[in-house]
This record gives sequence, C-alpha cells and structure tokens, in this order.
Amino acid sequence: MGGLNTTLLVGMQALDATQGAIAATSNNIANANTPGYTREVAQFSENQETDSGTVVSGGGVSLDGLQSVRDELLNLQIQQQTSQQSSVNTQSTTLQQIQNYFSTSSGNDISSELAAFSSSLSQLSAAPTSSGAQQGVLSSGQDLANAFNSTANGLTSAQSYANGQVTQTVAQINSLTSQIAQLNGQLTQSATASNGGGTIEDQRDQLVQQLSALTGISVTQTNDGETITTGNGSPLVMGGQSFTLQTTAGSDGMQQVLDSNGNNITASIQGGTLGGAIQVRDQTVPGILTQLNTLASQFATAFNAAQAQGFDPSGNAGQNFFTVPANAANAASGISVAITDPSLIATSSDGSAGSNGNVANLSAVLTNALPSGQSPAGSYASMVFQVGNAASNATSQSTAIGLNLQQLTNLQGSVSAVSTDEETTNLIRFQTAYEAAARIVSTIQQLNTVTLNMGTSGGY
Amino acid sequence: MRVNPNMVPDMLAAIQQSQATLNTALQQVATGKSVSVPSDNPTASAEMVQNTIETADVDQYTQNVSSVLSTVQTADSALSSVVTSLTQAVSLGTEGANGTSSAANQQAIATQVQGLLSSVVSQANMSYQGAYLFGGTASTTTPYTADPSSSSGYTYNGNNDVNSIQVGDQTSIQVNLPGSQIFSNSSNNVLGSLSSLVSALQSGNTTAIGNATTAVSSALNYVSQQRVIYGNTESQLNSQETYLQQETVSLTSQASSLVDVNEAAAATNLSQAETDNNAALAATAKVLPNTLLNYLSVPS
Repeated sequence: MGGLNTTLLVGMQALDATQGAIAATSNNIANANTPGYTREVAQFSENQETDSGTVVSGGGVSLDGLQSVRDELLNLQIQQQTSQQSSVNTQSTTLQQIQNYFSTSSGNDISSELAAFSSSLSQLSAAPTSSGAQQGVLSSGQDLANAFNSTANGLTSAQSYANGQVTQTVAQINSLTSQIAQLNGQLTQSATASNGGGTIEDQRDQLVQQLSALTGISVTQTNDGETITTGNGSPLVMGGQSFTLQTTAGSDGMQQVLDSNGNNITASIQGGTLGGAIQVRDQTVPGILTQLNTLASQFATAFNAAQAQGFDPSGNAGQNFFTVPANAANAASGISVAITDPSLIATSSDGSAGSNGNVANLSAVLTNALPSGQSPAGSYASMVFQVGNAASNATSQSTAIGLNLQQLTNLQGSVSAVSTDEETTNLIRFQTAYEAAARIVSTIQQLNTVTLNMGTSGGY
Repeated sequence: MRVNPNMVPDMLAAIQQSQATLNTALQQVATGKSVSVPSDNPTASAEMVQNTIETADVDQYTQNVSSVLSTVQTADSALSSVVTSLTQAVSLGTEGANGTSSAANQQAIATQVQGLLSSVVSQANMSYQGAYLFGGTASTTTPYTADPSSSSGYTYNGNNDVNSIQVGDQTSIQVNLPGSQIFSNSSNNVLGSLSSLVSALQSGNTTAIGNATTAVSSALNYVSQQRVIYGNTESQLNSQETYLQQETVSLTSQASSLVDVNEAAAATNLSQAETDNNAALAATAKVLPNTLLNYLSVPS
C-alpha cells in the first residue's frame, strides 16, 4: 500500500487532468461559432495501479490528450454533394439569365416578333399598295432581326461569363491546393495527428470543402496526409506537394484547363463551379446557339427565296429581304434586314402594283416547315422548352442536393459541432471534480501535518 | 444519439424556404401569371410561342375581314348602281324601239343612254382607299379611259388577275373581279352594248335599237350574275368573322390556362405562405435564445 505521498500524487494528477478538461471545454465554448471547428473531448485514462504486496491500489488518472471528434466518411459525402450543388448552382445562375431572353414578358423576344412579323404580312396582304402596311412589314422584319441579334448576344455573353469563371476558378483552385499541401506537411510532423488532427486538420477539412465547391475531387488518406485528385485522376495535392492547373486559350477562344503535365483535361472536369461553368460554356449554351443560328439562317434563306418568287410594286423582281452572314455560326447574331425602302417588298405575283399574290408565299415561310423539319415557330418553341427545362431542372436539382447537404451537415454537426449546453454541463462536472481533487490535496496536507506531529511531545 | 446542437442553419433554411414560397405566391397574385419565365413551366412556355403567333394572326385576320368586307361592299354597291343604270337603259331602249317614237325623241333617249353609259363607266372606275376596284390587280391604273378608236368608246387598262386575301390559316377569299370580266367581257360587253344602243338610237333604226336593247338586257342579266359572286364573298367573310371570333376566344382561353394563375388558388397560396413564414419566424424567435445558461444561477 502506497503512502500518503502516493495519494497526494493521485490528487495532483486529478487536478491536472481536470484542469486540462476544463481548458478543452473553454476552448470548445470559445470556438462554438468558428466555421470548421471540431469539438475536442478530453481523453482520460487510469494510471498503472500500484502493487504493495497484499493491496493493489489505483494509480490515479492521466489526461492522454484532446481528441477531435470527426467523421471522415461524412466529410467525404459532404464534399461530393458540395461539388454537385455548386455545379448545378453555377448552371442554374447562367440559365436563369439566358431564359429571360426567351421569356415573352419582355415583348421583344423572338416569338413576339415572329407574331408581329406574321401579322404585318397579313395586313400587307389586305392592302398591298398601302405604304403604311409595307413600312409595317419592314419595321417588324427589323425588330425580328434585332430579336435574333439580342438573343444570340445574350447567349454569347453568358458563354463568355462562364469562360471568365473558368479562369478565376482555376486560380482559386491553385491557391487552395497549395495551402492544403502546406497543412498536409505540418500535420505529418505534428503530434496532434493521432488525436483526430486538431486545429490543423480543422483548417485542412475547411479548405478541402472549399476546394470541393470549386471542382469535383477525390480524396484518399495516405501516410503523408491527404492525396487529392480531380474526378478523372489528375493530381492536385500529394502529401506536402501541390500540382497547379493551368488555363490556355483554345482554338475557339475558350479557356482550356491543363493539368500539371500539360494534358487538356477540360472535357473530363465535372462538378463544382468549374465543372458547372464548363458544362454551360461547352454544352448547354452552344447547343441552343447552334439551333438559333440554324433557325436564323434557314428562315432568312426561305424568306429571301419567297421574295425572289415575286415582284415589287414597281414590277422588279424581288430582292433579298434579310442579309445573313455566310458563316452559319454567326447567323443569329448577324442577321439584318437588307432593304431600307419598304416598296421593295415583293408583294406582287404578276408585276402589277395592286397584286398581293406573292404575300401568301412570304407568309407561308412562317408556317411551312424549314429544312430543319419544323416551322420557325415550332423550332423556336422547342428551344424555349429546352432552355426552360434546363433551368427548371438545375433549380430542382439544386433544391434536392441542398436538402441532402443540409441532412449531411446536420449529421456532421451532431458528431462534431459544439453544444454550449453540453459544454456547460461538462464545466459543472469538471468543476465538481476539480473541487473534490483539491479537497484530496488539502486533506492529505492535513494528514501529513498530523502524521509529522505524531513524534513530538507537543502533540496530543 | 447526439443531436446537432447548431440549429441556426436549419432555421435559416426554413425561413428562406418559406420566404421563397411567399415571394412566388406574391408574384403570382401580383402578376396574375403562373408562368413568368420558361423554367416556371417549360411545356406551357413552348406552347405559348405558337399561341402568341396564332393570336396575332387571328387578330390580323379579323382586321383583314373587316377591311375586305368594306371593299367588297363598295364594289357590290357600285355593281348595284350599274344594274340600275342598265335597267333604265333597257326601258329607254324599249321606248326608242317603239315605232311611235319620233326621231327627236330617239335623239333625246340617245342622250339619256349616253349619260347612263358615263355613269356605268364611272362606277367601273370606282376606287376604294386609293385602289381601283375593277382593274384586276393593276389597282393603281384607271381601269377605263375614253378611246374613240375602240368600238365601245373605252379601253380597259387593267389586267385579268384577281387578289385573294388570307382571312384564316388555310382560308383565303377572292376579293375582286377584273373589269374585263364584268364590263368588257367579249360575250356580254356592258360598255359595248350601251355604246351600240346609243349609236342605234342616234341612227333611228328601230331594228338596230331593238337588237341593241336585247344585248343590253343580256348584259344586265350577266352583271346581276356577277353580283352574286360578291354576295357570296360577303357571306363568306361574315361567317369567317364569326369563326375568327370563336378562334380568338379559344386562343385566349388556351393562353389563360397555360400561363394565367387561378386567382382563388393563388390567394389561398399567398395566405398559406404568409402563415408558414410567420410560423417559421415565430419558432426561430422562440427557440434560438434558449440555452442551459438561462436556468443556471450565476456562481457566487
């Protein structure tokens, strides 16, 4: 059996350990609102018991350390969902902008202008010699060409906005990966690694989550810390080393993303702001733009052909009404009205001024199928559907992933977040423990005094 | 199981969601539309493209019908005057062919018939809103001008073409008859027969007057038949107008069902959203400030 001093030692160890626990509690309370902070729990363990022949007595307590409470698997899921959400959010933002050009509420979208053009032609059919009706067709033709121009410009500017996002996002990714690599290096040298990482790992997790919002990543734990690659396997961080992505202008003027070896990985990037911006820039917008260009080009060609079938009121053969760039890729942005004189509209089928015979041919262009197989209105309607559907899908996906992410964040919070109520309870618990341990020390001190006085006559 | 102690994000999400619903409900009530941008309802937006164009077309067809109707009515009333003139000419010719009619009397009748001829020519040159009605498609040229070299004394400057006007997607209606068909047709030449009657009356030959009167009478029948064409056009236009009115109603109701909001449902949604939003705010205000510390006494 140990002496009084052994017990005193046990009391002092209890004081030390409890004080450490109170320090952890106070740090938890202090960081209750710090983003990325993971609560720390004091880890107590029994000391080796002392064996004094017949009696074996406990050796007291020691504070092994402060354990960060985190769930790495949850973190991985949160990273994946964050990538997806930020990708659909990027797409949704761009599509919301684009769809305004396809909304009838502005009154000068393509469908409103097609309607106005069609009714101006119908009016001309009733009054082929009226200069007002001729001017009406010319003006609404110009409005229609302008509607094509502004819709095409809207799409192109959405595309170049997404292109700007690509460059910016790559720069942010590079900055984050170099910070993560640095923290990886610190973590392997730090003693906290075995206790759930502590502050450094909190910071790294926070950075990795930010990185996952920028692009889809794959994270694996290695002895050197975390290895991070893009979704297709191009390395971003390996241990203490980071690999920078680069951008370079492609043949179409769009920024291409290159990995550290110079390979073009643009097409394989998915998820995150970068994946979303690339999706919008290289798939969504070009898909709609191509259809718009086809429509503009085929419509202008068909209308010009209808003009050529007739004669203007002066008896001259009809000339081109629309000018459309030879390069089909610029058809919608470059379409314009070729004539300025309203009396050049080929209303007449026989060359006499009062004939309206050719107006029917002009009107028919609006209702007959173009070479694409659909009427102008039909082919425009299918574009409206695609844009609306893509925007609505992106929004509903974002909502769905948002709910999922909220659920995961709740789970993560239930593991790692600081509860002030819990910490307050702990504080009371440790306060009591500390008071009790202090009482042991003071009791042993009294006992020591009593024991020392046993040998003196001045005693009892 | 440990519960996530951090309720703020959940509560913010709940408040934001209820506010988003409230905004949507408010916007629908304010605009009266359930579809403002294509993503609100892609299918309805696509269908609205067709609807917008058809509505504009039907509006224009309706205007075309009324403007064409005026043109056709003017032409019809011109032909009605022609019929009256020809009827008078026939009775004058019959009077002139009567053996008891004196030469002076025949001369006076000839002058009257000449007057009728001029009146018929002026009807044939009738224009409406700057366009000649009986010149074929050459509506900017005066159809009949005096020409002494012609047997009828007038020459036709128009052409034989007709205009058809679209008054429906698949419906176009012929709106004019060329003068060459009505007034200077080779078998029933209105102007020619009147000229012959004048000449016959001036010559005083009763047989010739009789023959010429018969020719005028047959031209009268012919013009009356031609009037039927205009009458048919008028009735077609009237029935087309009714059809277009129905079409407008059905297009409007289609547009309404596609993009308009149901007022009652929207108002209910708005009040529901308002209640939800209040509930979310009230719950947050009640729950957030509460911690264990509220119930612990300050250590002395």
